[in-house]
Amino acid sequence: MPLDPAVLEREFPEFVIEVERGKIREFALVLGFNDPVHSDVEAARAAGYADLLAPPTFTRQFWHENDENDPMPHLGYDPKRRLHGEQEFEYHKPLVAGMTIRGRNVIISTREKEGRRGGKMTFVVIETRFVDEAGDLVQVARRTLIETAAPPKG
Amino acid sequence: MPELLAYAKWEELTEGAEREVTIGPLTRTDFVRFAGANGDFNPNHHDEIYAIRAGFDKIFAPGMLQGGYLGRVISEWVGPGALHTFRIRFSAQAWPGDMVNCTAKVVRQYEKGGERLVEIEAEALTQSGDILIKSHAVAAPAS
Repeated sequence: MPLDPAVLEREFPEFVIEVERGKIREFALVLGFNDPVHSDVEAARAAGYADLLAPPTFTRQFWHENDENDPMPHLGYDPKRRLHGEQEFEYHKPLVAGMTIRGRNVIISTREKEGRRGGKMTFVVIETRFVDEAGDLVQVARRTLIETAAPPKG
Repeated sequence: MPELLAYAKWEELTEGAEREVTIGPLTRTDFVRFAGANGDFNPNHHDEIYAIRAGFDKIFAPGMLQGGYLGRVISEWVGPGALHTFRIRFSAQAWPGDMVNCTAKVVRQYEKGGERLVEIEAEALTQSGDILIKSHAVAAPAS
């Protein structure tokens, strides 16, 4: 389905993540981290962090996302052909427990191409810039969402 | 206090330096625990009936699970504070029972603007050698 131009121009509101120790510990435990900077406050401090450090992929979470602030549900993608193609992070400042960060999703690029077996593939890149309480950039995340080509009819 | 990890120093991270970590076999419980951690409740990752009706053989791992594993492999090697960028490209789905064999490799060791940097490429393969994901990172490990 072709992308709705109104979605591309739409501004999505800011959202907030309160970075909690429990969530960092859970993330690190599930992914099997051995590094105590993600689970032990004393160790994190000894390593020079103010509190537990978030693992590198921590900000790619869905808890704070909803139909208001996330462009994904508005792309018109067929859920059966929707893929997360790429994910990218830029790290500007350590993300630690106790911080409150704000993010905003912006569609930064879109592209269509012919599928190998007919139909159109659509690529959308959503960028999320996360800033701390002082407005300093903490992280930039970019995800590429793909709608794979519709299978040829007949 | 648990002991801090000893990360690799920049000097040791010469081109070709490698780290291998074997994870798995993946279980459905791993998928569900990860969904709880990151809030991704796409039913294809936890609801077998839904996934089968959507045309899959069974449920499959959320991509960010393997992405998170590779993040761990790199961050526990060079130190989490050293990471500048980390990029993941998803290639194939991982299924229950699959191994996630991760290999990270230094492809470039260099200095730029007074900073000592490395470029790392990492990938995760299944037991049969299928590529699940590929990733790329730039880091400034301690000297």
